[in-house]
Amino acid sequence: MVIAIPVWQGRVSPVLDVAGQLLIVAHDGSAETARRHELLPDEGPELRAQRLRTLGVQTLLCGAISRPLEDLLVSSGIEVVPRICGEAEEVLRAYLSAELYEDRFAMPGCCGQKRRRCHGRRGGNHRQPPC
Amino acid sequence: MRPGIDRLQPQFAFPWLLHTVQREERPRRAGVSVLLFPRRSRCPDQAQHITPNYGGGWGGLRSLGKLMAMSIQSNDLPSDRQAIILDSINDGVFTVDRQWRITSFNRAAERITGVKRNQALGRSCCEVFRANICETACALRQTLTTGRPIVNKAMYILDAHGNRIPISISTAAFRDEQGDIIGGAETFRDLRLVDELRKELEAKYSFAEIVGRSPAMRQVFQILPQIAESDSTVLIEGASGTGKELFARAIHNLSSRRDGRFVALNCGALPDTLLESELFGHKAGAFTDARQDKPGRFAQADGGTLLLDEIGDITPAMQVRLLRVLQEKTFEPLGSVESVKTDVRVIAATNKDLGKLVRKGTFREDLFYRIHVIRLVLPSLRDRREDIPLLVEHFVGKFNRLQGKDVAGVSDDVLARLMEHDYPGNVRELENIIEHAFVLCRGGLIQLAHLPPGLRGGAAGEAPLDLAGMTLEAMERFLIADALRRHHGNRSAAAKHLGIHPSTLFRKAKALGIELPENDGRST
Repeated sequence: MVIAIPVWQGRVSPVLDVAGQLLIVAHDGSAETARRHELLPDEGPELRAQRLRTLGVQTLLCGAISRPLEDLLVSSGIEVVPRICGEAEEVLRAYLSAELYEDRFAMPGCCGQKRRRCHGRRGGNHRQPPC
Repeated sequence: MRPGIDRLQPQFAFPWLLHTVQREERPRRAGVSVLLFPRRSRCPDQAQHITPNYGGGWGGLRSLGKLMAMSIQSNDLPSDRQAIILDSINDGVFTVDRQWRITSFNRAAERITGVKRNQALGRSCCEVFRANICETACALRQTLTTGRPIVNKAMYILDAHGNRIPISISTAAFRDEQGDIIGGAETFRDLRLVDELRKELEAKYSFAEIVGRSPAMRQVFQILPQIAESDSTVLIEGASGTGKELFARAIHNLSSRRDGRFVALNCGALPDTLLESELFGHKAGAFTDARQDKPGRFAQADGGTLLLDEIGDITPAMQVRLLRVLQEKTFEPLGSVESVKTDVRVIAATNKDLGKLVRKGTFREDLFYRIHVIRLVLPSLRDRREDIPLLVEHFVGKFNRLQGKDVAGVSDDVLARLMEHDYPGNVRELENIIEHAFVLCRGGLIQLAHLPPGLRGGAAGEAPLDLAGMTLEAMERFLIADALRRHHGNRSAAAKHLGIHPSTLFRKAKALGIELPENDGRST
């Protein structure tokens, strides 16, 4: 499985639409197996979604995301877990240990929002946050 | 209790606050240097004295600072009233400390961002604000680094539902008594309504990318759909740069032929033989080097629309061939013996007066009447000057999008200069002027210095008025002739422009030997 986190200054990038760097992590369900960083050029939602597909991202943990970009990602089969904040490494650990639902990882003002959208495939390594 | 402050209520609009401060307090409080703002605290009650930065920030932020400062010096405004002042402002306001933690967050900020104050306080500002510039060009970071405020920067934020909210922001830094920066404030204005109104206005004053609100253009907009509905040949007349091709495209896009192709050909740019080949195509072997069949523009535009631009420039021989196609709806490619049927709507365009050419005998009368089924006359830009501000705004928006810039518009001086100019090149010339200015202007407003050299000191296309060595008589002659030209021969308007009585204008014109135009400008 491949997950991606847009990263800025060690934290989850606040807005995916303009994020410049992506941390891509391969994992076996509970532990990380490989990781790499990818730069994201400044481009529109279509090209950004296409780039994420090309990179083989299956799950995306991100901060704020515009509706058009989220729809594009979801329709291309990428599971999107939006409105996440915090230190990227901490978020990654929380995801792998199914603790991402904790309030401290929710962006302010997003409590009670649906925090996961995916198309077709169901699953993922975190539970739906309590409303 | 100061009357201005005592009367403050949450429902008061921000301009009222500004007005109150300026009218009642500024004269006596010019030296205010202390500002109250909470720091590193979620509680607005915990506050400390800091010096505001009055380095020329947005009026709202500066006035807010002044108002808060006055409240401290006079000790007559408790913290709950400070909260009321913040909440009474219609613009979002938040403050941060040096660690980018939010230390205050007013009610308008809650409304615009959708984040509650208790959720925002103490959190990193970029996670609350979620702006497109947070990562790359944070305005507050810039202000806290340089100490200089940023005024009215356009951007967008994302709400909790992923909707883009257009806003404009301004920032200012807070300093302690030693002058060190200890935090900053950002005010932001929701531009959704402004955007909606702008779009409505644009829709009202534009038609298929053609912009105009002058009576002449509105008249054209009104008849354009009816022209598009019919399948008749259209003659578009207008000076160079008035947008003849744009109108032809609009007619095509509104017509039932919109799924077909729109093909344009400039007839004036090609010699006869080449034009014939371009229009009707040729068969292999029709002439030297014609190795394979090539379809002409009529074949390419089959089922669509063909624009024949500069139709007034084609030779009489070509006029005959064109007339036959228009009458019989068939043509023969060069080198072919078979006629090909065509289903093309022809739009002809010219910058010449075809009627005059017919009278001179250089344009065939039968062809003229064949293409003159519907006639559309496009006004020159100088005849619809009221459209210039709208066109300027349109081109500024267009080049902002194309070049990724943030030019706010043009200064008053520039607009005045653009309104005066005569535009021999019409809308295309105006577009080129704005494009030129975009090369030199990095942001803010386009200034006179950004205009092409011919427009900076005087109107382009005119000989500059050299006052040195000019006699009073020559100057009078120049000014009267210029005023008459600007007002299209209207004597009364020219006299009013010059500040003299019309009879004086007649007398001077006669004495100076100025020939008054035949058309007195009142009928146009």
